[in-house]
Amino acid sequence: MTTFFLFALILVTLSAASVASNYHESLHLQPLPPSSLLASFNFKSNTTQTSFKKQHFQYFPRALGQILQHANTQELHLRFTTGRWDSESWGSRPWDGAKEGGTGVELWAWIDAQDDEAAFAKWITLTQSLSGLFCASLNFIDSTRTTRPVASFEPAGDHLAPENLHLLHGTLPGEVVCTENLTPFLKLLPCKGKAGVASLLDGHKLFDAAWQSMSIDVRPVCAGQECLVQIDQTVDIVLDIDRSKRSKDNPIPRPVPGDKLVCDTSKPYYARDTCYPLENPGEKAWSITELFGRSISGSCPLADSQGPDEAVCLHIGPEREVRPSPESVETKLMDEFTRCFTLPPSTPFDLAVSEQEAQSNIPLDEPLLYAERTIVGHGQERGGMRIIFDNPSPSKSVDFMYFETLPWFLRPYIHTLQATITGRDGIRRQIRTSEIIKETFYRPGIDRERGTQLELGLSVPPASRVTLNYDFEKAILRYTEYPPDANRGFNVAPAVIKVSSPEAGRPIYLRTTSLLLPLPTPDFSMPYNVIILTSTVIALAFGSIFNLLVRRFVTVEEASALRAQTLKGRLAGKIVALRDKIRGKSSKVE
Amino acid sequence: MSEKYENQGTPQTTITSTASASSLPPPEKPSAIRTRFKVVAAFWAVILFLGFPIWWKTTSIYRAELPLQEMLDWAGGKSCRPVLPVEIEFETPSLSDVEAQQLLRTTQHTLDDLNEFSAHHLRLKLADEEAQQITEKADTALTVRLLAQNDLPSPRSELQTDTTTLDVFYPPSQIPLPSSANSPLSSFIAGELQRLFAEEKATIAQILSNSAIGAAASSNNQAQQISPQLAESITKRLRRSMKYAETYHLAFSLFTPGSAPSSWDIESAVQEYISPVVQALSPISNFTIDTQVQLYATFSPTTPAPEYDEAQGIWTLQEENLSAFINAAEWPLNPSIGAGPTINFILYVPSPDHFPLLVKESKATSWIIPQWGGVFILNPPLPTRPDTNSTKSLSNPPHLPRTSLRPAFLTFSHQLLSLLGTPSTPASLPLRLQTLIRIRAATLLLSASSTLGSLARLTESLPSIPIPAPVSSSVSTTLSHLSASCESLRNGRFRDALASARVAETEAERSFFEKSMVGQVYFPDEHKVAVYLPLLGPIGVPLVLGLLKEVRRIIIGWKGARSG
Repeated sequence: MTTFFLFALILVTLSAASVASNYHESLHLQPLPPSSLLASFNFKSNTTQTSFKKQHFQYFPRALGQILQHANTQELHLRFTTGRWDSESWGSRPWDGAKEGGTGVELWAWIDAQDDEAAFAKWITLTQSLSGLFCASLNFIDSTRTTRPVASFEPAGDHLAPENLHLLHGTLPGEVVCTENLTPFLKLLPCKGKAGVASLLDGHKLFDAAWQSMSIDVRPVCAGQECLVQIDQTVDIVLDIDRSKRSKDNPIPRPVPGDKLVCDTSKPYYARDTCYPLENPGEKAWSITELFGRSISGSCPLADSQGPDEAVCLHIGPEREVRPSPESVETKLMDEFTRCFTLPPSTPFDLAVSEQEAQSNIPLDEPLLYAERTIVGHGQERGGMRIIFDNPSPSKSVDFMYFETLPWFLRPYIHTLQATITGRDGIRRQIRTSEIIKETFYRPGIDRERGTQLELGLSVPPASRVTLNYDFEKAILRYTEYPPDANRGFNVAPAVIKVSSPEAGRPIYLRTTSLLLPLPTPDFSMPYNVIILTSTVIALAFGSIFNLLVRRFVTVEEASALRAQTLKGRLAGKIVALRDKIRGKSSKVE
Repeated sequence: MSEKYENQGTPQTTITSTASASSLPPPEKPSAIRTRFKVVAAFWAVILFLGFPIWWKTTSIYRAELPLQEMLDWAGGKSCRPVLPVEIEFETPSLSDVEAQQLLRTTQHTLDDLNEFSAHHLRLKLADEEAQQITEKADTALTVRLLAQNDLPSPRSELQTDTTTLDVFYPPSQIPLPSSANSPLSSFIAGELQRLFAEEKATIAQILSNSAIGAAASSNNQAQQISPQLAESITKRLRRSMKYAETYHLAFSLFTPGSAPSSWDIESAVQEYISPVVQALSPISNFTIDTQVQLYATFSPTTPAPEYDEAQGIWTLQEENLSAFINAAEWPLNPSIGAGPTINFILYVPSPDHFPLLVKESKATSWIIPQWGGVFILNPPLPTRPDTNSTKSLSNPPHLPRTSLRPAFLTFSHQLLSLLGTPSTPASLPLRLQTLIRIRAATLLLSASSTLGSLARLTESLPSIPIPAPVSSSVSTTLSHLSASCESLRNGRFRDALASARVAETEAERSFFEKSMVGQVYFPDEHKVAVYLPLLGPIGVPLVLGLLKEVRRIIIGWKGARSG
C-alpha cells in the first residue's frame, strides 16, 4: 500500500503546486484480502481567498462557505464513519488514517476568535449550522462533548495569523451515518454525483460496506501572496465483493448447489454425498457495474486531468487481466501494481477484472501500531478501561500521542493508571508508567459541564505489547438526563492515536472503536412511585395524628349505645332486622 | 370511622333503643370540646396561612405587567392616525416674494381641492422659508423649480430622472395676479404634482385600508379616484414584495442542466448592474451579495418538460407550470446565514437540446416569484465545438462574459426593486425611493402595532403562559418608538419615522417570539391530578370532615342558645 500513499502524496504536492486548478477528482480501487475491495474517492476544489471572502462561489459550495465565514472558521475537518477498519487483514489505513474519523461523527476546526469564550460561541454556531446542512445531530456537540486537544492535531493549512486560532474538537460516537448524510455531501460537489466518479456513490451500496468513511476538509493553502481555500472531500469504502455482487432482486445468500461445489477430494471421508468445500484459491472476478450497481457515467467535465492524476486507478497484481471500456486510455505508473484509466467524456465507463489464480500477493503495508480499547470490570458502580498497544516492528520503537475524551459521567481515577508490558516471549511484567509515558496532559471533567480530556505521549518498545489500565467510577445521572434508550448504554468516543513517523513527514492517525458504557439505569416510573409512596406515608402519619387529636375515646359499650342512637345506627338496625325477616321466610319455604 | 364513634357532645334526652343495656357515655367536658376546636382551627390555620401561600408561590407563573389597553389601542388605530404630509419646495428664482407667495397659495388651494384622501397630502413651501425651524425641518420630497421661458404657449414640466427636481417652464405672462384666486399656471402645477404622487397615494390608501388602523383612520372617501388597473397593480406589488427587513441577502445563482457554462463574469456584472441599486437603497436596508454556480441542475421529475413549438422553432414552458420551475428539493438554494431574508435570483441557462427556451404565452424569459426572488432564462448563442463531430456539435459556451449577462442583470435589478415594493412611477429613481421610505415607514408602523395587538390578545387568551420581564421592556420600547415614529410621520420627517418604526418592529417581533413564551409549559391537568390526589385525598378527607363537624356543632350551639 506504500504506492497508494506515494500516489496520494504526489496528488497532494501536485495540487499544491498547480494553484490555478479548480477541481479535481479521482477514484482509487484496490482489492483487499480475503475478498474485499477498497474504493477511495477523492474530490478537491479550490477557490481564491478573495472571491471566498466576497462570497462569489464557483466550485466551492456556497452553503458550506457561508457557514465557515459566519463561524469565523479557518480550517474545518468533518468525518462521518461507520464500521471498523480490520487492520489485521487489511493492513494500514488509507490516507494514513488522516481522512477518517472515529465511529459516528467527528468534527474539529480552527476558529479565529479573540478569546476562548468567543471561540466557543462560534463553535456552537458552526455545529448548529453544519447540523442543518448535513442532517446530522451535530447540534448535540455541547460543552460536555467539546475538547481542546493540545498535542494531537496540527493545522493542515497555511494560516497567516495562527495566534488567534482556537482548536475545538467534538465527537458524536452514537450518530448513525446514513443516506441523509450522503445526499448533502454529494450536493457539495460541482458535478453533484451526476457525472464523473461520484456517479458511483449510492447510499444503498455505500452504507452496506464493511467500513466506510466520508470526510470533508477545508483549509487555506497559500503559495506566496496568493491564497486559496481548498475543500477536499473523500469517501473511502471497503466493499465485500461477494455481498456486493449479489443481485438486487435476490439479496439473501443461498447455499451453492451440490453440483457446483468444489470438494476437497483428498479428505478420507470424501464421497458422493459428503463434501469438504474448498476455498476458492483464486482472486475473485468483479466489475464496477457488479459492485456498485451502476457504471461511471462519463467524466465530470470540470475536472482537469493533466499530469498523472488520471481519474480511475487500480492497484492490482500486474498479471491480472483488466478489461476497461474501450474509449479509455490506460497508463501504468512506475511501480508495477498501479494502472490508471482516463474516463471517456460522455459515455459510461466500466472496468472488469477477471477471475484468476493468484500468483503474487500484493504486499500490504503493516500498520506501525495496533491499538485496542475495552471497558473491563463488572457491576453498576465501577469499571475499568484497558488499552492495548501492540508494536509489530521487531526493531523500532513507536512514539505516539494517545488522546481520549471521556464523558463526564465516567470519572477516571488516573492514580490507578498501570502499565504492563508483554514481549514476544509472552512474559508479562508490570512496569512503572513513567517508563513508557513521556508526557501527560490531563484536564479533569466537571459534572454536566465538560468531559475528561486525557492526552498521553507514549513510547512502545519494539516487538512488544503494552497494556494500560485504569479504574473509573460511573456517575448516577438525573432522571431527565437519561436518553430514551437508556438501557442500551452510553457511547464513549473512540480514542485518537497520532503516530509521528519521521519517514512520512505527516503524522499517521488511527482510532480505536467506540465503547458502550452501561450506567445504572432506574425504572422510569420512579417519580410517580415516589409521589404515591411518600403521599401514602404522609397521609398515614397525618391521619393517625389528626384522629388522635380530634377524636373522643369511649368504651365499646358506650360506643354501641351511641351508634344505636344516631340515624345511621337506627338505619343499620332496621336493615339487619329486614334481612333476618327475609332469611326467616326463605327458610320456611324450604 | 369518625361518625360511628362520635356524638359531638349533643345533649342526650331520650333513649329509644332498648336493645342495648349499657349506659351512654357521660357528656363531653367543655374543655375537651374547646381543645378539639382549637386543634381543627390550628390545622386549618397552617393550611390557609402557610401551605396555601407556599403552594401558590411555588407553582405560579411569572407574568410581567403589560400595558394591554395601550397595546390594543395601538392595534385598533386609536393611538395614532398616520398622516403623511409630503413637503414640496418651490424655487422661484425669477419671481418676486409676493408673486411666489401668491402662486404657492393658489396652488396649495387647488391641490387641497383635488385631494380627498386626508392621510396623504402635499404641503408646499418656498425654498427660503426653511431657515425658521431647523430642528423640526421636514424632509423635502420634491423641489419644483419655476423657470420662465418666453416662447411658450402653455406651461410645461420636466422631471429630472436622477434627482428629485421637477422643472416647470412657464410663459411669464401666466404669473397669477395677486387678486385672482386661480390661474392656469397654479392649476397646471397642482395637476402635475397630483399626477406624480398618484401611485404613492393609492398605495398608502391600500396599505391603510388593509389594516385596522387604516380602517379607523380613513373610513371615508378614498379609492374612488383610483383606477381599477392601478389598484390591481398596487395590490399585486404589495402581495409579492418582501416583508421589510433590516438586512436582505441577495443570492445570485447560475443554474444549468449540463456542465456548461461553468463560469461567469459575476463580479463585474454585480459591480455594474446591482451595486448602484443597492447603493441607492442603502438608506432603507442593508444588503449582502453572494453568488454561486450550480451545474447539473435538472428539473424535478414532477415538472412537465418543455414543449417544442414547431412553428416558431422554440421550446416553451407553460405559464401555469412556472411555479414548479424551481426544483426546491435538489437545487441548493439554502437561505443565507444570518438575520434577514434571502432574495434569490436565478439565471437559468437551458441545455442545448432545449434551445431557445421561452414562456409559452408571453414569450418572456423572466418572471418574479412573489416574496422569494426572480428567474431569468438566458439563451446564450451556441458555439460549435472545435471538433465538429456529427451529432453532438452544439454545446453551451463554457464561460458567460459580461455582455451576455447584461440583459439578465438589468432584469434582476428591476426585479429587486419591485420585490422590495418600490412603486413603478414616477420616472425618477430617487423620488421612487423616497416614496418607498414613506410606504415602508407606514407599513412598519402598522405591522408593529398589529403585532402588539396580537401579543395583547395572546396574553389575554392564554393565562398559563409565562411572560418574562424582557417582553415587558420590549413592549415599552416598542410603544415609545411607535409614538416617536407617528410623531415624525406627522411632521414629515420620514427617515426618522422609518428608523423609529424599524426599532419598534424589531422589538415587537422580539417580544412576540420570545422563546420562553413560545415554549409553553406543557403540564396537563391529568398530571396535576396524578400528583396532587395521592396526597390531598387522604389528608383532605379527615380535615374537611373535621371542619364540617366543628361548623355543625357551632351552628347547633348557636341555635340552642337562641332557642334556649
